[in-house]
Amino acid sequence: MKYSNEIKVGATIIIATVIFILGVRYFEDLPLFRGTHQLETELSNAAGLIPGNVVRVNGVVVGSVDAVRINPQTNGVRVGFHVDSGLPIPEGSRTMVSGFDALGVVRLDIALGPADNPRIPEGGFVEGRVTTDLVAELTDRAPLLFDQVDEIVGNVNAVLGDSRVLLGSDSDLQGALLSARRSMTTMDNLLRTQQANIASAIENVNGASGSFNTFMEGNADSLAAAVSGLNATMAQLESTLDGLDGTTAAIDELLGKLNRGEGTLGLLLNDETMYHRTDSLLTSLQALIDDFQVNPGKYLKEMRLVDLF
Amino acid sequence: MPLVRTLLVEPAGSVGRYALLLWKAFATLGDMKSYRKNIFDQMVHVGLESMPIVALAAAFSGAVTTVQAAYQLVSPLIPTSIIGSIVVPSMILELGAVLTGFILAGRVGARIAAELGTMRVTEQIDALEAMGLNSVGYLIVPRVLAGVFMFPVLYVVASFVGITGGMAVGVFGGFVPLGEFVAGAREFFQPFDPVFGLIKSLVFGFTITSISCYKGYFTKGGAEGVGRATTEAAVMSCVYLLVADLFLAVTLL
Amino acid sequence: MIKVDNISKSFGDKQVLFNVSLEIREGETTAVIGRSGSGKSVLMKHIIGLLIPDEGRVFVDGVNIDDISYAELRKVRQQFGVLFQGGALFDSMSAFENVAFPLRTFTSKSDSEIAYEVHQCLTMVELPDVGKKMPSELSGGMQKRVALARAIALRPRYILYDEPTSGLDPETSNTIDDLIKSLAEQLNVTSIVITHDMHSVLSIADRAAFIYNGRMHWVGTIDELHASTDKTLCDFVKANEYQIGPRS
Ligand SMILES: Nc1ncnc2c1ncn2[C@@H]1O[C@H](COP(=O)(O)OP(=O)(O)OP(=O)(O)O)[C@@H](O)[C@H]1O
Ligand SMILES: [Mg+2]
Repeated sequence: MKYSNEIKVGATIIIATVIFILGVRYFEDLPLFRGTHQLETELSNAAGLIPGNVVRVNGVVVGSVDAVRINPQTNGVRVGFHVDSGLPIPEGSRTMVSGFDALGVVRLDIALGPADNPRIPEGGFVEGRVTTDLVAELTDRAPLLFDQVDEIVGNVNAVLGDSRVLLGSDSDLQGALLSARRSMTTMDNLLRTQQANIASAIENVNGASGSFNTFMEGNADSLAAAVSGLNATMAQLESTLDGLDGTTAAIDELLGKLNRGEGTLGLLLNDETMYHRTDSLLTSLQALIDDFQVNPGKYLKEMRLVDLF
Repeated sequence: MPLVRTLLVEPAGSVGRYALLLWKAFATLGDMKSYRKNIFDQMVHVGLESMPIVALAAAFSGAVTTVQAAYQLVSPLIPTSIIGSIVVPSMILELGAVLTGFILAGRVGARIAAELGTMRVTEQIDALEAMGLNSVGYLIVPRVLAGVFMFPVLYVVASFVGITGGMAVGVFGGFVPLGEFVAGAREFFQPFDPVFGLIKSLVFGFTITSISCYKGYFTKGGAEGVGRATTEAAVMSCVYLLVADLFLAVTLL
Repeated sequence: MIKVDNISKSFGDKQVLFNVSLEIREGETTAVIGRSGSGKSVLMKHIIGLLIPDEGRVFVDGVNIDDISYAELRKVRQQFGVLFQGGALFDSMSAFENVAFPLRTFTSKSDSEIAYEVHQCLTMVELPDVGKKMPSELSGGMQKRVALARAIALRPRYILYDEPTSGLDPETSNTIDDLIKSLAEQLNVTSIVITHDMHSVLSIADRAAFIYNGRMHWVGTIDELHASTDKTLCDFVKANEYQIGPRS
């Protein structure tokens, strides 16, 4: 049978159109023959979310992001996305961005609301979970924080070493230092307690494992609090030590001499394996923060301790 | 002065004649009757008859991309899904359209130029005009429209066959499991990519057919002129295809 | 009525026509004669507006065809049937389709009517059975005749023949001459026949125009041609082994 050109051309165009549509749906990870359900949400920070990123419920891919734009009224981020129409998204569901942009694995997670709530209609709105800008905050502050920890512990070490020398020595010391001996003893005790704390913190740094993503999910709020707590602790600790430094010029002098990394804490601090064993600054920070998250009381206690001092 | 002529005056003249020809062609777009039958003939020539060679080339380039991606990139540190992330976007964004374009610049562009060139030097175009027909509308419009309609179709075929070819070699050659390939492709898939590819193929279809029509329609000088027009049509189509490719990438991406 | 008024034409540096004027009267058959390369075909293309004169004007039925829009020009052209020197058959179509082409394009006749008319036209040029053949399968003379059939298919008011009998044997030439003559007489077609063949000129033409080196050298009736003493014209005609003018 001979077909006319019109029929041949028409059939080809139709087949190509079908291949195109099915192909796009296939790579967008949409059900090939089922419809999708269009929804919107608003987030405070897109964290690198772009159209094409997947949408997940309980870790299962159910759709993808269509559009991400700034909502000029709220300054929030309006995200349009679609999910498999076979999956009802009930009222009370919440969306959040998870994953890490630099690795190219950002996604939109939906925490489903109660199953017996009515389904959010086509084109409807899903509430975004209120989050602080954690990723940005952490990445900005991470080097700063770690430098601070480093510096403070270095100072502590120096003072500690200095104190040991002072306490263990029979030789004559300058008058100014002698007058400070009493307060130094007290301080030494305090710093010893702190040494133990910091050492355990650093052990945790070395030993901790887990993924950045896991802490991002779930505990974002408490983590934010922990981070700002840590910040405050460090600031206070530092100012305290600054004041201490100021009390005697001799300690300053000795700090210069002794800050070579002697003593147990110094060795630990200058032990380069600590840096090597952690893949990157962020991972180290993450672990530190993980520890914070697991045991925030420890640090908060310390904060109070320093306050007392 | 001769330099000014070759560098400025002649190109300006060519652009002008090209634009006028297209203007004349699209002024007759409404006069469907004069080209309705022709357009389907041309669609068969441009589209259906080009399909085997386009599919063949696409299948092989998809397969080669897979093997090269595997050869260059896959190490214990890099997941094999990267093959999918390379093969699928490169097929959809660039190879599917550009490969089709190059093949058709040779196959369709040369054919159009030779056909119209022969018609010009054997006075067939004059004969059409002398009958009171609009030769531009009758000859050029259906060819350009066939290009504009069928290139996207060929692009879809090329992308489909190319990706399938890449997948097949990846899976049966033992480079990457199917699931990994697809996961890698999905990870970096942007819905705009295939749309961009479609736009590109549409522009290429227009570029190649209109340039070849221009070269063929204004052929001068007998059989030798037809040969020259044919070569120029194929070469110029390729050149302007690359220019259009860059232009689209800069403006749309 | 066609009036060529003082046209000149150059291709690049080469001037082909120099102030050519020619008047073609309604219902008459005008033979345009001249040596190869003298500009006959170029003159013919000016008459249907395929070439535009550098100077001068061409009037068809009183309308200057260089002055009107393309759409109007196409209307004017539809009154013409043109036989090109090379035939100019569409080589992608069969002989039948070539002859049917103007009928399909410009009339709303049914397929069977068209088939009938195409057959008639092909019979007139003595090629009733070539309909299915492609132009490349036909001899040069046959191509020319199919092209002639195509030119007359619409029964146009004006027919331009560019060397209709060149390449044909004397017998077929006579048939074509008779065809041209009967079209002119029965349908009152105004014809312009470009030819080298003095036999044709004398048997079909009412008037003759002699182009020499791009200039209109001599125009007159056939009787005047016989009586002409013009040296150049006589030499041209003598080359055809015809004897005109006073015998020496
Ligand atoms: N398109 C063109 N470009 C350049 N020169 C041309 C063109 N057409 C014709 N000529 C030149 O014009 C002159 C006249 O050509 P034309 O075809 O009118 O000759 P002719 O009288 O028809 O000759 P013949 O009897 O051999 O057909 C020739 O010298 C030819 O070279
Ligand atoms: Mg000629």
